[in-house]
Amino acid sequence: MLAAAAAWVVLALLLWRSRVPSDLTLPALDERDFFTAAQLREAHAYERVVRLLLLGSLLTTLIVLVLYARHGARFLRESAAGPIGSGMLLAMLGLALVWLSLLPFGLLELWWQRRHGLSEAAYSDLVVGGWLALGGEFVGLSLAILIVMGFARLLPRFWWIPGAAVFVGIYALGAFVYPYLGAGERLEDPTLLAAADRLEREDRLPDIRIDVATVSTETTAPNAEAAGMGPSRRIILWDTILDGRFDDDQVIVVLAHELGHHASEHIPKGVAWYALFAFPGAWLIARATRRRGGMRQPAAVPLALLVFVGLQMVALPAFAAIGRHMEAEADWVALETTGDPDAARELFEGFSTSLLADPDPPAWTKAFTETHPTILERIAMVEAWEARRGR
Amino acid sequence: MVADDRRRSRLTVAFRLLLAIPHLVWVVFWTLGALLGAVVGWFAALATGRLPQGLHRFLAAYVRYVTHLHAYLYLAANPYPGFAGDPGYPVDLEIDGPERQSRWKTVFRLVLALPALLVMSALLGWPSAGGGSQQQQQDGEWTAGGTAAGVAVLVAFLAWFAILARGRMPQGFRDLVAYALRYGAQTSAYVLLLTDRYPSTDPFEPPPPEPTPSRPIRIVIEEDEGRRSRLTVLFRLPLAFPHLVWLALWTVLAVVVAVLNWLATLVAGRSPRTFHRFLARYLRYGVHVYAFLTLAANPYPGFTGDPFRYPVDLEVDGPARQNRWITGFRWILDLPAWLVSLSLTGLLVVVAILGWFASLVTGRMPVGLRNAAAFVIRYWAQTSGYGLLVLTDRYPYSGPSERRVEPEPVERPPGAPEPGAGLAPA
Repeated sequence: MLAAAAAWVVLALLLWRSRVPSDLTLPALDERDFFTAAQLREAHAYERVVRLLLLGSLLTTLIVLVLYARHGARFLRESAAGPIGSGMLLAMLGLALVWLSLLPFGLLELWWQRRHGLSEAAYSDLVVGGWLALGGEFVGLSLAILIVMGFARLLPRFWWIPGAAVFVGIYALGAFVYPYLGAGERLEDPTLLAAADRLEREDRLPDIRIDVATVSTETTAPNAEAAGMGPSRRIILWDTILDGRFDDDQVIVVLAHELGHHASEHIPKGVAWYALFAFPGAWLIARATRRRGGMRQPAAVPLALLVFVGLQMVALPAFAAIGRHMEAEADWVALETTGDPDAARELFEGFSTSLLADPDPPAWTKAFTETHPTILERIAMVEAWEARRGR
Repeated sequence: MVADDRRRSRLTVAFRLLLAIPHLVWVVFWTLGALLGAVVGWFAALATGRLPQGLHRFLAAYVRYVTHLHAYLYLAANPYPGFAGDPGYPVDLEIDGPERQSRWKTVFRLVLALPALLVMSALLGWPSAGGGSQQQQQDGEWTAGGTAAGVAVLVAFLAWFAILARGRMPQGFRDLVAYALRYGAQTSAYVLLLTDRYPSTDPFEPPPPEPTPSRPIRIVIEEDEGRRSRLTVLFRLPLAFPHLVWLALWTVLAVVVAVLNWLATLVAGRSPRTFHRFLARYLRYGVHVYAFLTLAANPYPGFTGDPFRYPVDLEVDGPARQNRWITGFRWILDLPAWLVSLSLTGLLVVVAILGWFASLVTGRMPVGLRNAAAFVIRYWAQTSGYGLLVLTDRYPYSGPSERRVEPEPVERPPGAPEPGAGLAPA
């Protein structure tokens, strides 16, 4: 056990290595120096409600799953399937109950976003579309239960080892094929494409395809992402970032940031991090469900759901910290390759006003939910980079 | 009531639509009169709680006349109908005299009738739905036109050829049209305030006018009093997704095996036992999935198509000798059955949607809707078993109700529940 823990720590430390200088100290900044009082007031007011909704939904999820873990096994009578099919049913019903209980929070959040002009999605899309989308989630969940219960029936005590390995394999496969599933169109802007070529040479990356995804019918939030591994590597720009709110220099910083993810191998590292959490997580589920006969019994599935979600909540700060760490590295790479701190600063300020993001949220919010450095931290990194370069 | 010997005059069948022209003109005027009478009757029923005797007689004669006319048009009966809606036609109605009616049901009659009208449109169609179908054909696309025009229209179209060839109306077609006409008549009677009893979609009541021979592919329903779990009903479609994915994967393999089975049956005159067992299991699994999806059954089905484990189950006899000529031309012969099955899918969708709302509100699936869904699923299974899978050379029976099935004793796995009663009472 100790050896496994030591190996875990060593692997985690290896994955934690970053191109951000270890002695980099971020200057303390005051948000009022970058944003007007009105902007800050609006961002604080918006985020306050979002945080309340988040807390409410987390609490509701836990309550629903605790109740379901206690009483969910009674739904076994609604099944004429064998143990694995019944386990699938119980897992799907648990997810369905969570979805149903979170629906009011989702509707409230959508109302809040629409009120602030951040979303144009219809309420019916959230309800009917979400209900239908459950079908896809149920297919994935059923596959997960098939893997877990299938191995548990073969290896009652050690199913978690092959089970976690298969999940890691599926996660890696998903990360690889994800870019091929998108329906984006190739970026055609010659200025941005030329800049991307230059950045790729700086990052010693091969030519990476850049797509534009149309999301402006649903949201006004600007975003971009790096996806894929090896030959499937791709950058996906949301069309909301090309709608004129950000100039070319700022969009080039975005491109540099996403290329920074690829240059730093963040997608494969993400798979590795997933593996580091999957094995102990599966082991803990196996331990927790032993009293209910283990994962070979469908009656253990509601408890397994609670443990799984509970573990995810406990691990939220770790996931958020890993996310922030990677994003900070991508920001640093972007500053190094573009050498354009002014564009980066303006981009981050623009994010805050476009997303109504609190530039300096409370520590607990940052710890649990912020997968990116706060806006103020990102601007501080720009200033630190300038200081290092003597600008 | 059906008192028909299924013999048809080829001459009158050949010109049936033209011969009906006088009736089609007459029915327009009578419909206008009936609508006027219904408005008057609505006020009268609201005031007195029942329909006046004279008005009731007039509207009953109208409903009876329309039923006679449709039976004639759809080839469910042979003789030329009278113009007065008098009793005595081979496909006829029994209509009780005026009874006390709930005023609340009278006030909201048209709204309450909407679900029944939906089912009726799936069975008999609407004039506009027929137009839509025509448009689709003009565009060069063949879709489920029978569904748009109603099952009865498609069945009548197919029966026209069958009668011209054989001089007899196929029993299944006749019974299916009679079922559609009965439901249409009950709905009309409900809308026209002849009764406040809601139309029954149950295809098993009343029993068929003549016994039907047992089929090698039969459905077996375990009585469950219609209880449904509201939670699984609310999420029924998403819950069925894993099954639909699995069924699609299974179908790919089943198609390959079906082709091999067809070749083997053509050569040996009998389906190889291994192929037969696999394809029967696949078909049974499909029945379980569709029964779950359409709320004909409550519990979540297994993924392996095991027999005796699901309340709506399929019994498939073992491999029997099959006619090589029928096997050789199987897919062509199956085409009419596929068209009817496709057309019945419209009814299944309507029944499933109505059943979804009813089960969500009351926690129970109305037995009539459940049995209607089971009928469509049974016909689909027989059509697939005959045409695609070559499990039998017995043609699918399109009648809504089969005579009571007495399954042969089969060795059941330990702990397996006893199958329920047969599809329809004797």
